[in-house]
Order: sequence, then C-alpha cells, then structure tokens
Amino acid sequence: MTKTVAMEKMLKKADLAAWMAKLEQTRLFAPALEDEDVWNYMPVADAKAVGLDHPNTIRPPKGFVFPQREVLYKFSQIPSEAPILTETLPDPEPTVVFGVRPCDSRGLVRQDIVFTKEYEDPYYHGRRAKVIYVGQACNTPPSANCFCSSVGGSPCAEDGLDVLMTELDGVYHVKAVTARGAELLAKGGDLFKEASDADKASVLKTHAAAKAHPQRPIKDLGKVAGALKKNFDSPAWDEMAKACIGCGICTFLCPTCHCFDINDEVTCSSPCSGERVRTWDTCQFPDFTMHTSGHNPRHDLGSRLRQRVCHKFLYFVENHDTQQCTGCGRCVSLCPVGIDIVSVVERLGQP
Amino acid sequence: MIDVAQLKAHAKGLLEKGTVRTVFGYRKSTAGLLAEPAGITEAAQADDLIFDPSCVQNLALYLVNDKKHQAEKRSDDKRPVAVVAKGCDSRAITVLLQENHFSRESVHVIGVSCEGTGVVDARKLARKLGNKKALAVAFDGADAFAVTTNEGTQSIAAAEVMAERCLECRSAHPTLSDVVFGEAKAERGLHTPFQAVKAKIKESEEDRWAYWSRQFDRCLRCYACRSVCPMCYCDECVVDSISFVIAPDTTAEEKANRIKWIERSPAKSESAMYHMVRAIHLAGRCIDCAECERVCPVNIPLRLLNTRLEMEAFETFQYNPGSDPELPTLTSSFRDTDPNSFIR
Repeated sequence: MTKTVAMEKMLKKADLAAWMAKLEQTRLFAPALEDEDVWNYMPVADAKAVGLDHPNTIRPPKGFVFPQREVLYKFSQIPSEAPILTETLPDPEPTVVFGVRPCDSRGLVRQDIVFTKEYEDPYYHGRRAKVIYVGQACNTPPSANCFCSSVGGSPCAEDGLDVLMTELDGVYHVKAVTARGAELLAKGGDLFKEASDADKASVLKTHAAAKAHPQRPIKDLGKVAGALKKNFDSPAWDEMAKACIGCGICTFLCPTCHCFDINDEVTCSSPCSGERVRTWDTCQFPDFTMHTSGHNPRHDLGSRLRQRVCHKFLYFVENHDTQQCTGCGRCVSLCPVGIDIVSVVERLGQP
Repeated sequence: MIDVAQLKAHAKGLLEKGTVRTVFGYRKSTAGLLAEPAGITEAAQADDLIFDPSCVQNLALYLVNDKKHQAEKRSDDKRPVAVVAKGCDSRAITVLLQENHFSRESVHVIGVSCEGTGVVDARKLARKLGNKKALAVAFDGADAFAVTTNEGTQSIAAAEVMAERCLECRSAHPTLSDVVFGEAKAERGLHTPFQAVKAKIKESEEDRWAYWSRQFDRCLRCYACRSVCPMCYCDECVVDSISFVIAPDTTAEEKANRIKWIERSPAKSESAMYHMVRAIHLAGRCIDCAECERVCPVNIPLRLLNTRLEMEAFETFQYNPGSDPELPTLTSSFRDTDPNSFIR
C-alpha cells in the first residue's frame, strides 16, 4: 500500500470554536456530559464549550453508523389489496464527530468489515458515507482499563479516522488522514498554520510518551486464538461466569459488537401498518440463541461468556485476520460484577 | 470493626466440614475499585475473601441464580449455600424467605455489619478524587473511609462518598443471620428515610415529567437493573422478549400470539413502560439495596422510582420489607385497620 503524504497543520486551541463555526451545513458532535457522570457524543450547541478533555465516553460512537434502532422499511396493507412496502433508506445530514478515541475508530474499522466486506449493508453504508470522524490522540489513558496497545492499536492510531488531532501546549496538531479529512481542514482556511519540523518533532515526542503509559497487558496476542480454541471445553468458562448477571452492558457498549435483531413493530392493526425494525441484540441475552423448539445451545452464562470472548479473539481472527476488540476497556469498567476480558484472555488465551 | 480473618476462618470451616455447598462472598477484582462477587467451593479459596466498603453488591442475587442453576443441573446436592450479607442484603434474603423462594434451612447467612459507615459510591468517590485514581478503600474508624490512590492513602468522611442508600439506611446491621461479624451500631440517621424521593416529589409535575423523559430517553435496555435485582426472579418477564419461556408443550400458536407489551426499540415510551412495570412489581418488596441504580451504565436514578413505592408501603401500611421473615408479604396481608379510602 502506498502511503500518501498526509496534511499536517497546527490549530490554536482557542481557534477550535472558530473552525467548528466554519463547518456549517454539517451536524457537529463532540463528547459532553449528557447527565451527571454520563459522557456521550452530544450535538455541539456551543462550540466554545467543547473542551476535548473527556474520559472515555460511556457510549462508543458506533451509533452514528449503526444506531440502536434502524427502520428497514415501512409496511401497510388495506384488506383485500396487495401489501405496500416503503423504502426507508437513511440519508442523514453530513455529520462531523469530534473527540473520537483511536480505540473507537478502530472499532469502526471492525464494523466496516462486518457491514461492507461480503455484503454491503445499505443502511450502514448510507450513514457511514455521511459521517466524518475527527479523532483525538490519548496523551494520557482516558480510562483505567485501557488496553489498546495490547490488541494491536495505539493511543494515537489513525485507522478509521479522517483526521487525528493531538493536543500539544496550547495548540492542536491536526493531521488529515483521508481526502475527506483534508477537505475539512481546508474549510478552516487560515485558522490553520502549516506544521513546522519542530511541531512534527513535538508530536512524535507526545505520541511516544502516550505509548509509554502502562496499559493492561495481553502477553502473546498471536497465540490467543489458538489457545482459546484449545480451551473451548475448559471448566474455567463456567467458573469465570459465576458472577455474571446476564445483562447487555458489555456488548451494547462495545465499539465492535454488531449483532442485531429484527422485529415488526405494528403501529395499527386495522388496516395493518407498521415498520420492520432492526435493533441491537446481544449474545448475552437468553433468547439470542433460543431455538423455536425450546432448545438453547447457549443456555448458561459460561457458554455466553465464551461466545463473547471467542468471537472477539478467535472467530473474528479466523475470518478476518484481526481481533474484534480494540481495547477501549468499557466492558471491564462498566461490568456490574467486575468480569474482566483481559483476565479471561490471560487465563484461557495463553498457551 | 469487622475482623476479616474471622470471616475467612468461618467460611473456610464451613467448606472444610462440607456443611455448605458454596460460599458467596466478595473478593478483590482485577477490573477496578469495587469488589467482585465470588462463589467459592474450596476451603483454600476462603483466603481470597474480603470485606471492606468496596463490597457493594447484593449477593442475595446469587442465591436466586444458584437455585435456577441447581434445577438446570438436576443436582441432588441439598446442602445449604452460605452467603455474606450486609444489612440491606439480609433484608433481601428475608423477603425471598417470606415469598417462599427457598427455605430457611437452605441458606446459611454470614451477616456483616456495616457499623457506622456503609459502602462506597464509586461515582461520588471518583468525583471527589478528581484526577487521582482510587485503588483500594477500607473502613477507617466509625465515620470515615481510608482511600488509597496512586498518591498515597487519605481519610475521607464516609458521608461524603457513601452510597445514597446507605445515607438513608434504616438498619445497617443484618436483620437475619446465622452468624454475624461486626458490631451492632445504633442507626446512623445521616439522612431521614425517603429524604431523596421526598425532595423529588416536591417538584412540579411538568418538571418531573421532563426529568423522567430525559432519563428514560437514554435507557439502553441492557436490562442490567433487572438482571441484578434479587427480586426479579421470574423465568419470564412480562415486559420484554428476551426471556420467553418455551417448554416442550408450548404450542406454535402460543409462540406466535404472545403479546408484546413493549417493543424492543429503545424508545422513551417503551423504556418508561419497562421501568414502571418493574417498579410496580417491586412495591413492598424492594429493600433499597439500590443495585439497579448502581449498575445502570447511563446513570438513571432508578432508586427514586423504587423508594417512592416503598414510601407508600411504609406510610400507608407501616410496612417495612425484609424486617421479619415470619410476617406475610405486603400484598398477601390484610388488617382491619388498613386504610381503604382508595377503594371506591
């Protein structure tokens, strides 16, 4: 792969709001407190209030391209007439999302594999084409359970991003990674100064310092898939799932989890009309694998924990040659009972 | 102060003698500050047990889950299960006994007194500490926590970082136990019971509707609140489709015609319905362990919903759930003196 020369610019911190103001005609989102202690990507109402000093958001930014509820089409039928199906392909306003952490943008790359590789999902694709991701390097780990470096990422990784911003002393180093990103920078006009050699050296130093922060380690990532396969029948799965309460936090808030359910939501039964709707689903719920016969091949919490971990560190690796975990640490931090994917991988994913 | 060595020795003794099948207790977690629930079956594992202000979970849940698990396994091991229970947790066990969920002989309650302090609220503590990261928290005298961070250990007044429910706790000492560790301290009375909900209901109806709209709007429907609740033990929940029980004799027609009371979509209407139905089903049963509120990843103040109904049970019927296993449940009891002005 040839590497194009990336555009590197400098932006004064105080000019961030001015840049945002020039991005009219797009919806802007940035991390903000949705409620007490609830960091989420919120519409930018006041660009001056955007601080880009957020911890890891509770929700990853996956909802911009894979919302929890997506209408697939509408249906209606007048008795004795043919049913009418109405297309509802999404056509969202162009959107720019600021403050995306590199683990989350790498999560997006995993979503791309699922929704575009073998089959191009028009709903996902329709949204994906309209969203620009402006990333932010993590100079210090935004969560106590960060482990991006242990799963092939880094606090300044660029995968999935259009722009990567790195905070230096009073300025942002802003690097356009894609053509869309370069356009976004161009809109800022003379707010941006060309990055000097000294600026570039300073960024490299900051990135090196960011990478040096200790993270939760996974010893031998290359051997994890094989070891998990070998340990498929280990009794340790049940033991480690003993505390699991069976909720959907770990998967719903995962930047790479993509499973969904499809239901018809009937809004009126006579004459019949409604919507066919896709909603997030999770392998942690009992009905996920429930057969119509009543048999459930994953009937207990141990087999569901195994599914979650093996999907990320074994099956996805076999199918797509990369882990389906980007080390954001949400499932670890937000689990009500401390189930820790790093510990699980350490225990069952090492030869 | 609780002597954790005694607690460990007791658990070890139970497992060595084989008088219990499992001991549910707490151990240090690798995931963060809060302890993790541990179901131990070997005497040697008893050394891992801890008890400190990070032991927030209500382990009564695991008695309920264990019962389901034993039934699935068709196990004939009828030995009791031991569980470490704080004051609130012991009240949950009492409610389960009142409801005949299991028998008194099937559970060995290792009571632990929260004494003067209660447990920590990790969100409050994180806010208090700012950039410092809490690594461990211990009891520090009658009204403080010793918090260890990356910068050393400091003492913080417990009332500042204590879980809300502990502030309003009416009995920090277990009401039911086979053995108890720690002193029975007089009630703390830091806040008056139902203080938070009483403040909330003073607001105007419009303000409250706006408040709850905002809360329900962001509900993910991960069902963590229900999954963590020891009182939510139904095999099948009326409000959602994730746990539809299919038995060998469930007909195709029953499967097809099952009423969907709420849709899976995380819309405000559906999520409000879910939370309301859950709250109503907990009336006179919720012992305010506040686990639902603690586990909510988007911080929905669910405790307010539940304590609102407990306030009603207390003020209208003088009913305090979990206070006495011999008493009938609220909804299965009747007194001639009960107010009946609401029956028309």
